[in-house]
Amino acid sequence: MKKIYLLAASLPLLILLALSIGATQVDQVWSTIFAFDFTSSELENQIIWEIRAPRVIAAVIIGAILGIAGSLSQAATNNPLADPALLGTTAGAAAGVVIGVATNLISLNSIAAVVAAAIGAMLATLLTFSLSRSALQLIIMGISVSALLTAVVGIAISLIERPDLRSITFWSLGSLALVGPSDLVTLSIVAIIIFILALVLAPQLDLLSLGDNSVRHIGRDPQRIRLLAFLALSVAIAASVSTVGTIAFLALAAPHIARFIVGPRQRKLLIASAVIGSLILLIADTAARSIAPPQELPIGLLIAIFAAPLLILALKRGQMQWR
Amino acid sequence: MAIITCQSLFLKRGKTEVLKNFSLEIKQKTITAIVGANGSGKSTLISVLAGDLEPDSGAVKVLNRDPAQCSLSELADVRSVVLQDQNFWLAFTVREVIEMGQDQQSLARVDEVMAELGLTEIAAQSVLTLSGGQAQRVSIARALVRDTPIYLFDEPFASQDRQSRARLVSIFSKLRDEGKTIVIVAHLADGDLDWCDHVIEKLA
Repeated sequence: MKKIYLLAASLPLLILLALSIGATQVDQVWSTIFAFDFTSSELENQIIWEIRAPRVIAAVIIGAILGIAGSLSQAATNNPLADPALLGTTAGAAAGVVIGVATNLISLNSIAAVVAAAIGAMLATLLTFSLSRSALQLIIMGISVSALLTAVVGIAISLIERPDLRSITFWSLGSLALVGPSDLVTLSIVAIIIFILALVLAPQLDLLSLGDNSVRHIGRDPQRIRLLAFLALSVAIAASVSTVGTIAFLALAAPHIARFIVGPRQRKLLIASAVIGSLILLIADTAARSIAPPQELPIGLLIAIFAAPLLILALKRGQMQWR
Repeated sequence: MAIITCQSLFLKRGKTEVLKNFSLEIKQKTITAIVGANGSGKSTLISVLAGDLEPDSGAVKVLNRDPAQCSLSELADVRSVVLQDQNFWLAFTVREVIEMGQDQQSLARVDEVMAELGLTEIAAQSVLTLSGGQAQRVSIARALVRDTPIYLFDEPFASQDRQSRARLVSIFSKLRDEGKTIVIVAHLADGDLDWCDHVIEKLA
């Protein structure tokens, strides 16, 4: 766990570094940052505090949210392959928002959008889970539910063609480019709520790893534990998808990398997974916006570049963390 | 006094009739072994007694109550269960697995039970590295730390060596002498069952 605290301690440094890097060259960037002048109308200050800072902070929060969501997915389904994308949760969230916006019931960047996304996410997750009778079926059903809902989103956007629905690319590949300061409030609140809920659930999720019968036999209801985990998972993914679209792979990789470092106990794993998720997304997003300016690279590519080798390493060296 | 009774149970799983007009009476403070061929419905019977499965028809009474009508926590106060199909997938230690989800009273008994089952030396070992027999004894330990009037074991001897089998027999006998009722599913191949109070042959 010490390693995780060390990694967490490196976050502020990385945040400062991320603030200093970007498409526009800022002169005397460090003195501008360390002046911490958020209200100045100078161009340099505005670039750092109004353009870069919200995005950097969003990367940290969303990374943590995805790390927690990944850990919850694996624990709730007892399946190391499960992640929010494979369970249909992510596609469900996107479908919830797109349908809500298309029918003029909600607008983007609102609490209502998160609620619509959460409803879609929860329904899709429950559908996948209720269709599955085994660990492998869960994956096939999840891929099917996910494919179906992704298609619904794509077709709806193509037919309706409204700018406030955003692009298919946004919903399928994700981007942190459109995050605004107002999103940070929603994201922070959601992050705190699901983190607390996940920590409270942690011991029961450990128990769930012994199988449903073992839980029932000591007088607890495994489905109740699972439903609460799905609820936290859905809200987490809703907040993430409704602000930055679909960010793939991170929620699968973070818990495995975290488990390699801290072992299987859910309480430690959630914290570690959140920290790893934050670090990877922050590094990946900073690279995405600064490698080839003014062009932005798709965030998914850079997550893969950083997370895949770590995941492979963690699985190779930590073989006996799970089977 | 009968603590468990089954009257003309019928239960179908798919198209096979697993329980067909099956009746049973188990007296308090006894050890009962249920033996029979593979597929004769012994494990199904344990699940019915545990309250995991409801028969299609017939009456089950465990401590005068129908398990299907009891809540999970009421059932947990009445019986401890060990099934066969325990698969561990995360690298928790033996001790962590035994302690998981247990109440204070049960936690206080963990060391004693681990010693009785010969698990003390491997307490800090990952459950993923255990042999079949060791893993089974970890599951048995989870049940034994709990203090309930009834204990149900599905094939506790399945992958145990002679020494572990003898250990289990003495643990079961001791429990019975403390006033507990024990039901085990066993194979005739498990060796002699003379130490049981009753042996019931469950024919297909």
